[in-house]
Amino acid sequence: MIDNFSILLSHGLLAFAFWHLMNRPELDLEEPPAPDAEPEGFAHQRMSTKRKVKVPPGA
Amino acid sequence: MRDLIFVGYVALIMLLAFKRPFLFTLIYAYVDIVSPQRLSYFLLNSIPLSLILFVLAFLGFLVSDDKKDVRISPRWVLLLVLLAYCGYTTTVAAEPVAALEKWSWVWKALVFAAFLPLTLRTKLRIEALVLTMVICASTLIVTGGIKTAAGGGGYGSLVILIDDNSGLFEGSIISTVAITIIPLILWLARHGTVFKPDWKVNVYAAALIFACLLIPVGTQARTGIVCIAVLGLLLLRFARYRMLYLGAVALLGLAAIPFLPSSFTERADTIKNYKADESASTRLAVWAWTWEYVKEHPMGGGFDVYRQNRIRYDIAQKDVPGQTTDPYAPEVKEIVDQGRAFHSSYFEMLGEQGFPGLIIWLIIQLGGVWRMEVITRMYRKRNRDDEAWVAPLATALQNSQIIYLVGSLFVGIAFQAFFFMLTALQISLDTYLARRRQEAAWKPIKSRRMRQAEQSA
Repeated sequence: MIDNFSILLSHGLLAFAFWHLMNRPELDLEEPPAPDAEPEGFAHQRMSTKRKVKVPPGA
Repeated sequence: MRDLIFVGYVALIMLLAFKRPFLFTLIYAYVDIVSPQRLSYFLLNSIPLSLILFVLAFLGFLVSDDKKDVRISPRWVLLLVLLAYCGYTTTVAAEPVAALEKWSWVWKALVFAAFLPLTLRTKLRIEALVLTMVICASTLIVTGGIKTAAGGGGYGSLVILIDDNSGLFEGSIISTVAITIIPLILWLARHGTVFKPDWKVNVYAAALIFACLLIPVGTQARTGIVCIAVLGLLLLRFARYRMLYLGAVALLGLAAIPFLPSSFTERADTIKNYKADESASTRLAVWAWTWEYVKEHPMGGGFDVYRQNRIRYDIAQKDVPGQTTDPYAPEVKEIVDQGRAFHSSYFEMLGEQGFPGLIIWLIIQLGGVWRMEVITRMYRKRNRDDEAWVAPLATALQNSQIIYLVGSLFVGIAFQAFFFMLTALQISLDTYLARRRQEAAWKPIKSRRMRQAEQSA
């Protein structure tokens, strides 16, 4: 009795979750993220060093 | 009757998966955790369900997934190295027949864990796997929790769905799993998008957590008590009102003691009185044997090498209240035993896979704890609204991992598929976030040139 209740409950929730997932396109494809307001990380550090080098003296 | 319902259910969810092939991956996880083929008597257990599902999941990935999103991480490579190394030790195993039997399920767990990071490439997929793991584990936990609350249980006597002491159905293992998933339940209740946070979700999450906490009581697995203590400490880290949290935990703990069955408190007492406890003494003797064994065989003895052990140890004689003790009886009793299991994941890895296997496994496990810490700190600092789910998930996965690593001290669960899925989730989250950060920061050269052209025009 308790076993059947537990099986029914979890399997019902799982089936609902699968049904819900099936109808959500972002399961397979996501929108690209919004660009960072302030760039950070290694890429940014590299870019900022390059920019510093490019600045002509006396400008 | 139950058989027909299970067959119908599996057929139905497989039908859904033909529209979204990623669901095959989730159904494989379901079959792996719940084992519906073991819950039924015929039909399902007569077909290789796991194999069919894995082939379908892999085909789904090959046909419909975008492979350019796939990222490889060092820990993913290590999973494959561990798989290859375990394959090698099986060919030279000291117990060839037993080793081959264990290998037959270990390789599946490792291959699935290595497959997951390839296919978990969207946020919703990561959430979907977390949800599937929690719901599937709840099949066992809800029934165990209710039976315990109704006064059932006892060491080795709490029957969870089937009277079988293997896989997740074993008392100590389900106790560790139950406490391991609590941080994940808390995350789903706050950040889930399939079951959106509302009062119904909160009530169900609270009830499920309560059932999880009851599992160590019901199974009387002492590992579970240790895991609960570790969970309590870990949750303290990000608690907003720490003193209030500590007070509530202490109050709950004290209030729970009178309701615990006396057999449970007696068994819990043996944690501090381990010298008079046969189970604890066996562990210490097996671990000593393992250490001596790997000193001679540093590459390990292959799966189930523990079958070769012959151990001899002394335990202190217990004073049983109400019984007259023989005054001439020796203070210690000698026990001779053989073929005792490792009762610890660390010694399981060391004995079976030797130092190389243990080192690889430790790098995979501790690397996960470290990477989740890095992600938590990074995303707390980034503080973007659309990434509010990231740091709490990384913390939840880290907490689950630490609970698993502590529980592993006393249970041989180094190769349990459930925990490899946890590792795969961490690797997937890490590689997914690295890609998303790159996308958020990346400015394509072409578009920059086009922008310049537009400006100059």
